[in-house]
Amino acid sequence: MTPDQDRKRDTRQHWLFVLTLTLSLIAAWFFSGERFLDWVFEMPDLGPVDDMIIEFAVTAQEVKEQIGPEDYFGQTRDVLHRLLGLN
Amino acid sequence: MLFPTLEFILFFGTVLALNTLVFDRAGWRKALLLLASYGFYAAWDPRFLGLMIAVSATAYLGGLAVTRPKLRKLTIWLSLIALLGLLGFFKYFNFFALSLQQLLESAGLGRDFVWLSVILPVGISFYIFQAISYIIDVDRDVVTARKNPVDIFLYISFFPQLVAGPIVRASVFLPQIDAPTLPTPIIRAEAVVLILTGLFKKMIVANYLAVGIVDPFYALPDGQNAVTAVAAFFAYGIQIYCDFSGYSDIAIGIALLLGYRFPTNFRQPYSASSLRAFWQRWHISLSTWIRDYVYIPLGGNQGHPRRQMGVLVGTMTLAGLWHGAGWNFLLWGFFHGVGLAYERRVGAAQGWRGVVLVTLFVFALWIPFRADSFGDLLQVFGAFTRLESFAPVDISAFGLSLIAVGFAMNYLPERGLLLAQTSLARLPTIVQALVLIVGVWTCFATAQEGMAPFIYFQF
Repeated sequence: MTPDQDRKRDTRQHWLFVLTLTLSLIAAWFFSGERFLDWVFEMPDLGPVDDMIIEFAVTAQEVKEQIGPEDYFGQTRDVLHRLLGLN
Repeated sequence: MLFPTLEFILFFGTVLALNTLVFDRAGWRKALLLLASYGFYAAWDPRFLGLMIAVSATAYLGGLAVTRPKLRKLTIWLSLIALLGLLGFFKYFNFFALSLQQLLESAGLGRDFVWLSVILPVGISFYIFQAISYIIDVDRDVVTARKNPVDIFLYISFFPQLVAGPIVRASVFLPQIDAPTLPTPIIRAEAVVLILTGLFKKMIVANYLAVGIVDPFYALPDGQNAVTAVAAFFAYGIQIYCDFSGYSDIAIGIALLLGYRFPTNFRQPYSASSLRAFWQRWHISLSTWIRDYVYIPLGGNQGHPRRQMGVLVGTMTLAGLWHGAGWNFLLWGFFHGVGLAYERRVGAAQGWRGVVLVTLFVFALWIPFRADSFGDLLQVFGAFTRLESFAPVDISAFGLSLIAVGFAMNYLPERGLLLAQTSLARLPTIVQALVLIVGVWTCFATAQEGMAPFIYFQF
């Protein structure tokens, strides 16, 4: 492989890494109760884009509630805390 | 914005994606990281953004001026006075104002004494130290003065190391600004292992030890007995190690994902068999900074032995004061200096005896470091002599096991981490990303609600 090809392969793989992280984050939010929405309201005021972000988060949260996914994060938390004797 | 929060995950995810997009366009990449760093800092307190910009401007102009022979000395003095003056004002004003008020009141004066309470800007010690080292390194020809102000402004404010280090030298960082390294599988694997190790140290070990043992113990030291005192003695030593080295691990890991490599900041510090070795392994970026810019210029190990001892104790006392204005930090630094001077004179114990002695000495000095006041300090020492007490902390088996886990994290051989990294690097890219997300998910699920700030944020 030439250095150029190496570079292209590394770039492609890094994009794949970033994309997988992004999709996994969305999945994590989807199965994690309301924690992301809570955070958006606690966020510092970002001026002109603040309303847009809040509106986006609220809409996303509404869609999520309509679909009604399981709160796997909460369940994982309960199991782990029970196993460690933290409850 | 703390690293182990959803807020930061979202922020970093966005910056990582945009950074990958503009990775090969130097101008855009620098502008993006500078903007992101200012956003990151403004999320703490936007009022101090101006202060950081002023410090960056001082470093930039100082770096340019110090290369002119006629301005050299004047530049060094002026920039040192300005930068140390700012640090001194924000860090020590309250302490001196309060001391002055107490003095005046004890003399029957100053009842109407009024002063402004100065808020300590997050990370000020770290970015001012970087600014000083840049100007001095340009003067020493270690690094070339940059004409592009964005380079210096980004060097001072780069968000992964902005608020609690590691203190990165300009000679290490500036060449990377021009040519960052696109993460390869092995670099990504290293980053994932560092981030997960750091999160585990901070979110699980440090935070649960703080809440379960250390904080309740130090909240009421006169209600404790010898058993709880011994538990808190070990718990705080492990807490501060996991808290601070955890932060450094995360900082180094996220910088790697962006294409930048920071120096190692902790290397199994509690495995050191001498105090000198401890300081070569604990907060390495600060220890080497103090060695290069304070200890050696003051004379270092040159001259009469008595003078050498004086320089050593003086330097460590200054290092103690760097942590904050308080007798506790002064005592902590002074006794570390005395320990180092003693070791230099009579030699260090060898082997495991040395490791035990150094660990006990270092842990004992964490007591004044943690105590809120001199009165509390005496009460903590008193607790070691009491068998009965009225409000001992309830030490759980989980708390004790965390102390053992914390020690294990320290003794974890570097080969083990390397093996984890190389194994992870062999896995497909998608699996690497999933390992990171699942690890973060598990840490968040195991951690308690809410996130305590890192101990070193206050410095």
